[in-house]
Amino acid sequence: MRDIIEGPPDSEAPRPPLARRLAWFVALALGGMAATGAVAYVLRALLGLE
Amino acid sequence: MEFDALLLSRIQFAFTIAFHIIFPSFTIGLASYLAVLEGLWLLTRNETFKTLYLFWVKIFALSFGMGVVSGVVMSYQLGTNWSVFSAVAGPVIGPLFAFEVLAAFFLEASFLGVMLFGWKKVGPGLHFTSTVLVALGTLTSAFWIISANSWMQSPSGFAGTVEEGLVAVNWMQVIFSPTFPERLAHMVLAAYLTTALVVAAASAFRLLRDASEAESAMALKMAIGMLAIVAPLQLLVGDLSGKVVLEHQPAKLAAIEAFWETRTEQPFHIAAWPDREIAGNHWELSIPKVGSWITGGSVDAEIQGLDAFAPEDRPPVFIVFWSFRLMVGLGMAMIALGFWGAWLIWRGSPARSRVFLKACVAMGPTGFVAVIAGWIVAEVGRQPYVIYGVLRTEDAVSPIGAGAVSASLMGFLVVYAIVFSVGALYILRLLAEGPLAGALEPAPSEQRAPGSPLSAAPEDPGPPSKGDH
Repeated sequence: MRDIIEGPPDSEAPRPPLARRLAWFVALALGGMAATGAVAYVLRALLGLE
Repeated sequence: MEFDALLLSRIQFAFTIAFHIIFPSFTIGLASYLAVLEGLWLLTRNETFKTLYLFWVKIFALSFGMGVVSGVVMSYQLGTNWSVFSAVAGPVIGPLFAFEVLAAFFLEASFLGVMLFGWKKVGPGLHFTSTVLVALGTLTSAFWIISANSWMQSPSGFAGTVEEGLVAVNWMQVIFSPTFPERLAHMVLAAYLTTALVVAAASAFRLLRDASEAESAMALKMAIGMLAIVAPLQLLVGDLSGKVVLEHQPAKLAAIEAFWETRTEQPFHIAAWPDREIAGNHWELSIPKVGSWITGGSVDAEIQGLDAFAPEDRPPVFIVFWSFRLMVGLGMAMIALGFWGAWLIWRGSPARSRVFLKACVAMGPTGFVAVIAGWIVAEVGRQPYVIYGVLRTEDAVSPIGAGAVSASLMGFLVVYAIVFSVGALYILRLLAEGPLAGALEPAPSEQRAPGSPLSAAPEDPGPPSKGDH
């Protein structure tokens, strides 16, 4: 799990531009929401709900 | 005792919710702890806080996952085993569950991805925002679930009957039912205590092996601080919650205290053997008059006993009475542990007292036990109703056969035994390894193609120091 969980950036490393950081923020948040929604719809499908 | 669909469904719900509540009661506190750790790291740049964050976020991710899996089972059971309850109360209670999923669960699930996979990608500020949002998500989740459960304890803001169905007429009264504020505070504090006890136990376990581990010493001090403040506060909130129970669920309070007779100067039973068959206690160890003072604020306060309710309207007494005493007893032990730890911090370092460290390890699981005991008091004490005073539990069960429920119950027993044993063992293994286990692993060396001249060359020792000349 250590390899999956990302640690903080090096304090001396150059910061990526704000636009790229915001894009990652939105992408990861939407990805989490999409994963949750996908699991929900799979469960509904398995139960045969409309 | 007949093992019909009603009893089996109740056993199944009790079994699955007892497993489920372990995880949210831990992750609610842990998410806030992670937000504090990351905030402190941002403020101080002390590496200890970062190491602790990276350690506890792994435990959080695993616990969150198991909480989700066990929580899905709960909601489906409302349809499969308690369909009459869902049909009657769905228009009132359904939106509360829906808000829990939409507002809270999606908030947690969305920003958990940023927490786990995005620190370098989004930078420290946005990552901290995500951690705070996840912590707020867990608290919002608690808000809606306790709101739904509190409405079942003290229903308000609705109209209709069981036969025609219930509808909400005042949503504010539905959401903020009379017992809700105290119960929410009691649950959130219980979650913080549970987390503090686990953090204290894991840190103490590490310090027993290596007393110089700075990360565990810091985590132990933080946990002690939480215990010393929150455990006494919980006692006060619990007392307020009890006063609300007296007002809105007097039969439950009578069962909690094993009061069989309505009277003033009720005794406080430290221990007793209550028996519904004889409508009394076989034996009791009591302090005279103190029961009225604790529950009613005065020894002259008249407190209703179970004789004020028809036998068929009384909750089970023995299990409620003893679950309450187990919860309160453990709460007192938590207060003592917090004060003991605070005294040791004042004297120097709690890490030097091996007796205290062993006590912390022993107390590690007690938060979970107290939470489950508290829920037994709340849920069994509400019986024989599923919606207090409105819908009886026996009328809320689905029209299904005992065989079907037996099969699903057996399935749950087997699956939970495997899945949660594996999950819990893995978490315990991570806890035993401690915060430095991953942090001390050497960085992977530079890849060199096997068989190439470079692969045989020694590692670069780095620039020579002055002493090498």
